[in-house]
Amino acid sequence: MSEIPSSVLVVDDEIQIRRFLRTGFELDGFTVREAETGAEALRAATLKPSDLVILDLGLPDMDGADVLERLRAWSTVPLIVLSVRGSEAEKVRLLELGADDYVVKPFGMAELLARAHSALRRQLRAAHGEPLVKFGPLSIDFAARAVFINDQRVALTPKEYRLLQILAQHSGNVVTHQFLLREVWGNEHIDDTHYLRIFVRKLRRKIEADPTQPRILLTELGVGYRLVMADPPAATPSGPAAPKPPSGGGHQ
Amino acid sequence: MPSNSKLKLRLAAIWCHLRGIGIALLLVGATTAVAVLLREYLGILRGSVLYLLPVMLAGYQLGVVPALVTAVAGVILSGYLYFAQFYSFRVASPQEALNLVLFMVVAVVVSHLANQAKRHTMIARKREQEMSDLYAFSRRLAAAPSAAEIFVAIQNHLANLVQRKVVLLSAADTGHAEGVPERLRAEVALVEQDEGRERTIDDDNGNTWLIRRVSPKTPDFGIVAVDLGGASGETLAGIRQRIDDALADAAATLERLDVARALNEAKMRSETELLREALIGSVSHELRTPLAAILGAATILSNAPALARDERLHALTGVVRDEAERLNNDIQNLLDATTISSQQVRPKLQWIEPVDIVNAAVEHRRRRLAGHPVTLELDSNLPIVRADPAQVEQALVQILDNAAKYSSDSAPIHVRARLNGQFVVLSVHDRGAGLSGEEKRQVGGRFFRGPRHAATTSGSGLGLWIANAFISANGGKVEVESEGVDRGTTVAIHLPLPGETAPSETTIDE
Repeated sequence: MSEIPSSVLVVDDEIQIRRFLRTGFELDGFTVREAETGAEALRAATLKPSDLVILDLGLPDMDGADVLERLRAWSTVPLIVLSVRGSEAEKVRLLELGADDYVVKPFGMAELLARAHSALRRQLRAAHGEPLVKFGPLSIDFAARAVFINDQRVALTPKEYRLLQILAQHSGNVVTHQFLLREVWGNEHIDDTHYLRIFVRKLRRKIEADPTQPRILLTELGVGYRLVMADPPAATPSGPAAPKPPSGGGHQ
Repeated sequence: MPSNSKLKLRLAAIWCHLRGIGIALLLVGATTAVAVLLREYLGILRGSVLYLLPVMLAGYQLGVVPALVTAVAGVILSGYLYFAQFYSFRVASPQEALNLVLFMVVAVVVSHLANQAKRHTMIARKREQEMSDLYAFSRRLAAAPSAAEIFVAIQNHLANLVQRKVVLLSAADTGHAEGVPERLRAEVALVEQDEGRERTIDDDNGNTWLIRRVSPKTPDFGIVAVDLGGASGETLAGIRQRIDDALADAAATLERLDVARALNEAKMRSETELLREALIGSVSHELRTPLAAILGAATILSNAPALARDERLHALTGVVRDEAERLNNDIQNLLDATTISSQQVRPKLQWIEPVDIVNAAVEHRRRRLAGHPVTLELDSNLPIVRADPAQVEQALVQILDNAAKYSSDSAPIHVRARLNGQFVVLSVHDRGAGLSGEEKRQVGGRFFRGPRHAATTSGSGLGLWIANAFISANGGKVEVESEGVDRGTTVAIHLPLPGETAPSETTIDE
């Protein structure tokens, strides 16, 4: 990543969870701050902005959605939610409220770091604007509205292109069914998930080597889709961490 | 303050009397005006009987005191107008004096009779109203299909009867006693425990409350608290008698409907439900939080360079991780089983791509299946189906678990997704332990475990039962096939094609 280490604010009321998250993030070169409650998190985020927020939903003082909403009122900081299994509806709600992604407890550190880096990259891209993105064999030229697989141009219908474009803009992070339906087909089709199923199948036939074993356009059951780098640097040991910087130099 | 309000009441009563007397005097005045006109223009000189008219009116409408005042005023004025020296208060002869006295007596009697007649009419009317209320109440009770309706009827009827506040507390919420003044709540509890007793108690505003059970025999029908206001003596006794009558009627109806048992059961059910929910909530949180920490820490350790150098230590982090994952799955099964046994499985139907379900389930169990070569044979052209994705995935995960559990470590597992008639079929085939005829009959029962495996393979016997419950809830079925012991098993999820067809591609691509 960049020279200046990214800073992450970990919001969780369980000390053991905070401890392993701190270690995991520090080994990956982040500087870590912690908050135990929603109120503390909001205070910490205001006093000193972080590059990333990890938000647990089971806080003792506030509903996770409240924390998220209040934070989103003034901040676009990348935010990843720690949720529990079997609450698809809640995940969707939080994503709609502006969370960038979620991981389900229990989770591996590599999974969380992958999501975190995707969210950070998105923030960076939004700032600079990127004309071309690559997902393994897939590349999308936003300026020319052209899509290539292994440098071969792929013909997409306008709606297929739009779908791919939205997913690419959130590359690596999940995009909800509702968001995709609203952006591609409009508000009145927000519940027509079968549109998505049909279109994703068509897209996969055009961009995946084996449409039944997708490597680029992945499904998050009951939630949405995500576009990923075809061959993620499969859980590379993050290596010896960069020496910890003196505190205080954390954020941009 | 009570003394203050009593004073106000008395002032109001005095004002009422004064108004009556005032109106009576006005009536006498009007009569006098008519009498003077009759006398001056028609020459009628014996008109004292005219004054009986205001007396009668006052007696009927205003009460005894105004009637008497009217009578006295009438006597004086008729004396002034008609006797001896006209337009003077002097009475000339004994004959005239007798006439005046007779007039007075007639006036008093007439006013009294008029007043009596009025009171009787009023009482009769009130009785009639009460009777019709009671009749309507009985009819409502008889027609009430449920205890809830009876309670509403009781509450309305009593409120109508006393024209004040009535609070009816069902047996389930006597604990909160909402709507009852603070200091009366303890009494509610006492009445609930104490058989057949009823209590009257004053609240802070000087109002008397009656607290009693709806039925003296049982607290199951609830407790009623009635604000009787400031009533006392005979009025109070009357109101209480009528409340008793109404409640006796209601209690009889409640008994007839056998709601006591139903209410008791509902109360117990809701308590069990609360307990279950609390258990699910706390199990979910209290067990999973430490697990999340263990698993997270293990994934960090397994990537740590210090441990990566020693193969044995590195393998240990894998053990921690796998066992934590297994524990997590067991917790999930327990929660699923609880949901299923309380009949709370409510599929959230969505259009789903069958291939997505298979991929998610296999990915979910990637580590568990690691030793087995897994082959996938997925039809890329399957119709999309309507089902709850999480539940179908969980069912398939259970079946994959069983396939891995009951086949040897390197035995292949074959997963297929295909169309078969009106069903999309997701099947898992292993070359493991297989099933005997007897096992095949029993498999899928809750907690069933083949006796052959009890000693060698751990498990709860819940897996296939959970899969079955989830798939049935989604309108499908699970079928188990085996050619016999040690000849492998095929477990297939059948998901029905939806009746409605999804729109064609062209209609949505413009």
